[in-house]
Amino acid sequence: MTKSRSVGSGLLLLVIGGVVGYGVGLGLDFLVTLLTTGSGKLNFSGSVAGLFTLLSSVTAFFFGVVGYRGITRGLNWQIFGTLFGGLFVTGIRFLMGMRGTQLFGSFFFSEPAWVFGALVGAISFLFGVGALDDWMKWARGIDTPDHHEDVPGWEKYLGVSLDHKVIGIQYTVTALVLISVGGLFALIFRTELAQSQLQFLTSTFRLFNQTGPQIYNALMSLHGMVMIVSILLGIAGIMNYVVPLLLGAHDMAFPRMNAFAFWIAVPASVLLLMSLVLGGFETGWTGYPPLSSRGPVGVQMFFLGVFVAGWSSILGAMNVIATVLRMRAKGMTAMRLPILVWASIATSIISLTATQLIGLSFQLVMFQRLLGMGFFDPAKGGNPVLFQHLFWFYSHPAVYVFVLPGLGVISELLPVFVRKPLFGYRWVAMSSLGIALVGFVVWAHHMFTSGMNEYLRVPFMYSTLLVAIPTGVKFFSWVATIWGGKIPNPMPTPFLFTVGAIFVFLLGGLTGPPNATVSVDLHLHDTYFIVGHFHDTIFGGFVFPFFAALYYWFPKATGRRMNEFWGKVHFWLMTPSFLILTFGMMRIGLLGMRRRIADYDAALGFDTTHLVLTICGFLIATSVLIFIINFFHSVKNGEKAEGNLWNSRSPEWQVPSPMAAHNYEVPFEVVGEPYDYGLPGSKYVEFAPAKGKKH
Amino acid sequence: MRHFVIVGILVILMAGLTYVGLDSAGLMPVQASAQSVPIDRMWNEQVIAMSFLFALIVVPMFYSLIVFRRKKGDTTDAAHVEGNTRLEIVWTILPFFAVVLFAYLGGNSLAQTLRADPDAMVVKVTGRQWSWSFEYPDYGVTSKELRLPVGKQVHLQMTSTDVIHSFWVPEFRVKQDLVPGRVTELRITPTLVGAWKVRCAEICGASHYSMETPVVVTSQEDFDAWMAGEAALVAEAAATPEGRGKALVAANGCTACHAIDGVGGNIGPKWNGAFGEEVELSDGSTVPGDEAYLTESIKSPQAKIVAGYESQLMPTYGFTDEQIADIVAYIKTLR
Amino acid sequence: MTHTEDKKTMLSQGIYIFVYLAALTGLEFFVAITFKSVALLVVVALVKAALVVYYYMHIYKLNAEHEGDHDSYEYKSGTNRLGLWLFLISDSFVFGGLLVMRINLLGLTHPNLNQFLGLGVTSVLLVSSFFMNRGETMIKNGDRKGFLTNTLITFILGLGFLIGVVFVEWRLAAHEGLVASFGDPAKGPVGAVFYMMTGMHAFHVLTGLIFLAIVWINGRKGLYDEKSYPVEAAAVYWHFVDVVWIFFYPALYLIGTAIL
Repeated sequence: MTKSRSVGSGLLLLVIGGVVGYGVGLGLDFLVTLLTTGSGKLNFSGSVAGLFTLLSSVTAFFFGVVGYRGITRGLNWQIFGTLFGGLFVTGIRFLMGMRGTQLFGSFFFSEPAWVFGALVGAISFLFGVGALDDWMKWARGIDTPDHHEDVPGWEKYLGVSLDHKVIGIQYTVTALVLISVGGLFALIFRTELAQSQLQFLTSTFRLFNQTGPQIYNALMSLHGMVMIVSILLGIAGIMNYVVPLLLGAHDMAFPRMNAFAFWIAVPASVLLLMSLVLGGFETGWTGYPPLSSRGPVGVQMFFLGVFVAGWSSILGAMNVIATVLRMRAKGMTAMRLPILVWASIATSIISLTATQLIGLSFQLVMFQRLLGMGFFDPAKGGNPVLFQHLFWFYSHPAVYVFVLPGLGVISELLPVFVRKPLFGYRWVAMSSLGIALVGFVVWAHHMFTSGMNEYLRVPFMYSTLLVAIPTGVKFFSWVATIWGGKIPNPMPTPFLFTVGAIFVFLLGGLTGPPNATVSVDLHLHDTYFIVGHFHDTIFGGFVFPFFAALYYWFPKATGRRMNEFWGKVHFWLMTPSFLILTFGMMRIGLLGMRRRIADYDAALGFDTTHLVLTICGFLIATSVLIFIINFFHSVKNGEKAEGNLWNSRSPEWQVPSPMAAHNYEVPFEVVGEPYDYGLPGSKYVEFAPAKGKKH
Repeated sequence: MRHFVIVGILVILMAGLTYVGLDSAGLMPVQASAQSVPIDRMWNEQVIAMSFLFALIVVPMFYSLIVFRRKKGDTTDAAHVEGNTRLEIVWTILPFFAVVLFAYLGGNSLAQTLRADPDAMVVKVTGRQWSWSFEYPDYGVTSKELRLPVGKQVHLQMTSTDVIHSFWVPEFRVKQDLVPGRVTELRITPTLVGAWKVRCAEICGASHYSMETPVVVTSQEDFDAWMAGEAALVAEAAATPEGRGKALVAANGCTACHAIDGVGGNIGPKWNGAFGEEVELSDGSTVPGDEAYLTESIKSPQAKIVAGYESQLMPTYGFTDEQIADIVAYIKTLR
Repeated sequence: MTHTEDKKTMLSQGIYIFVYLAALTGLEFFVAITFKSVALLVVVALVKAALVVYYYMHIYKLNAEHEGDHDSYEYKSGTNRLGLWLFLISDSFVFGGLLVMRINLLGLTHPNLNQFLGLGVTSVLLVSSFFMNRGETMIKNGDRKGFLTNTLITFILGLGFLIGVVFVEWRLAAHEGLVASFGDPAKGPVGAVFYMMTGMHAFHVLTGLIFLAIVWINGRKGLYDEKSYPVEAAAVYWHFVDVVWIFFYPALYLIGTAIL
């Protein structure tokens, strides 16, 4: 069966599965309301119908695409795991003497049933997809081979594979899917914001048992969290694909852990989407209690989804660090590591450690809701501000997790295109670590207005502003690298995105210090200025470099290059729209536009600006759509590019594309500096047949 | 060398243009408080720094991209320049001093916004989903809008009854969260007569967007006159149950969710006609809208849920029985 | 195996360390009931943790150079060892977060718990670590029988700890009214903190027991006679759980004054 035909049957099944799921959900909802209240009502926009539609359509889609294996089996197991877990808790509650509405709660099951069910569902997914097979055998004392041969063709991407290149692509494609979903959410609420007053998300609007403003809040919050997860998956994709190639390793240090870390992100994404249909959550992605300790079950699904996705990030980071420390080619000393590897290390140090704190803080709210534990409840002696400390201890460094690999990509690509060594290699390498380490002691700058102890504000201002120093080193070094280089003419797409990244990240960087300065932040905090600043840093530090990396390494993965013309259209459509978008956001933010609001006071006179912002949002979406079409079209139809397309010194470009199954047929030894462009006769790596066995 | 001179001149030009452009765009709203002065000064210093750094990076970068373009047919690499330790040290040390300077300035301007006036007028601010109330303990008056005399510092003592809210008047600049279970403080000295709005800056649920209420800054005389009028109303209202009920309703922001005479939210059922008419509940049954029903609905709001209002549940407010009777008496007057 | 340790030295080292740890625990308890010096309790806990991390968990092995082929069992075990330690570092941030929460919410007070039960379960866990160390030393020296016996003792003691905390201590605490303080405005969050901290630790003890059981069952088949890294991994994890308790015990039982 060809790919296009299976995608076609997948889409057909998606529709059928959706309709069937909707019908089943509607019927079950009717039945349960009939049993609990005595009078049944068809709730056409209800949560249960929505949930069944979501789960059955997604599963049916993958069934149509690959049949009943891999991801389809995982999703199916997740559905049944969720049902089983929910029924299990419901059964226990029944035995404990609960009846009627008390037993079933406001939805199908009660909150504990949903939480336990969702957890069981996520674990069932991992069993179903097969990510735990080898470990289960090991526990029973059965040995398994180091590597499993992948099925040939594209089907391997929809099942468990231990090859870091396959996993890297799985991560990347999942990231693109989530970026599309998160972007779609943004388009919906951006449309609502185009004019003052509520137009379609009104208070009489009903979807998934939520009113219009509630749906607005849920979409806005999910836009944040879905994008964050997509960024984590995106950087994991790049690190997974590229880092072992740069190091000369035949795989990551722990291939099974690698597959596990990817596959656990899939049920996490499903959980996040479930939060929307199960009543939504209106807390913003920050989930501050007491607001988050009140809302519907959706909040719990959000917490659980983030918790599970956090494990993906932690285990991925552990793998990257172990790979860099243990799997380097001969001669690759610390000061000969490519900058991207240094950036990956810096990022992984943060993900490995700090992620636990967001997991813990969310877990504590979950327990507060489930068992009435009063950690953050002032009525029970708890402290709501404590949550913010635990939360931001991760969530500020998380921003560096998002941007450091991107900054590494910029440093990695610049020398290749300007044909000049990276200016001040050591300083750039160390600045990544510097940003990561200082990043651990700046979290409370998110809390200048929170009511925390006043004497903490000034020290955190100092520490936060210190981040400007290593960031500045990077900017100066990049400019010095470009200065006097041989700028390609015309500029290839990855270089355009690299330059765009520097420019946009500069805007993000420059608008940062005012937020770090306590007195000015008293005005800026929680306004659209922050939203604009934040999008600048994320686009400059992640989105632009991510696209640069995809255009750059696409030929390595597929042996074909993406279409240059459409790549340039993508760049020239996205960049100006994005700049207008964030400038507009910052402008109205300074003038009084609060963040996270479904509607704004018409008297503020922001209507025109918001209309422009909405148009820009749609233009960005169009450009990303162009990218996605280009991406998938070029896999089969792109221009062939099997050699050293960019004339790079990096080892992965010295061998033909696409890469062989276990990377380098002949191992290499590092004999020089990575970025010695313009030094005649110098070499970075030398391929030599190993004395021992081949991998 | 020629390149450095040109870029140097361009950087200065660009920095100047950027600053003038940003400054003339009118970035901040009107200055209406004494606290906004140091904040705006600090902001302006930062705009200068931003403009300079922007030019410092962008000009050489775009200059290089244009001037150092590869000539047609040239396939050689660029000159092999690995770095310059002295330069790296310079651009590490100089920013360090700049950072310390700005942090010092920031600390100073923060201190100025916190300066306390011992004669400040105390106002107790309560935030709740989704309304504000302002209690003037010196006058025994509680109001839904914030009235302030110009030129006199007001000491806001703020708390929340449910979730975290944040007090922000853009024209006053300063902002402070309202945290349940504790009292946070904010000092504002209005310097301009006019009307603005308090806007809740921390997401607090479905109607967060509409959690706004007027701030009116008047002369001391006008303020005193308004206060005298309010005090008279309080005295008058306290004489009858429905008057006390009306005051309670105003003080607790009930109209954020319940409409009265067509004004207010649609989160909960409207109150006109709530007494006396049959009420359809979410489970399909109906109950008479009598005193018992209204009392129960205030005491335990989830006992009977009106059809169409299942998604947003009302909290319990902890009213005493007398207060509930007053509120019911007030609702009875709404037809 | 290129890396051999003298069995006798290692076993007697294990005994010395255990004696130090037991003495320090006694000192801790004595300090807590007499002069209540928080600083001293922190220092003692740090010393205990350092002893376990160095002598029982062999952190120095991370530093060992592994020559030769990247595909050798030696080299791969080294990589696995690094991975395990990275995981433990990550995990310790959870417990660090719980300690921060405890300090923030309870300050210089602690729940009013049965001191002798606390000392009892602490001792049980400490003794189990001692036997774990013996078991690991024995399998490294090819003594399968000794390994199995010692691991079984460790397992039983671990189970005893779990029962002591979850089925005895939790019940007693419930009788003392800690359960009520889950949601009791008068008593504050002390119950919530106590159950959360002990619960999270007990969850780790449970997973440790599962690893021990797997290692014991597979060890009976002779799976680790040559390739003993899995035993080391289970042992290091088990000691880690002990290290966590070294901090949680004073945090929950000893520091500050008892409140309810």
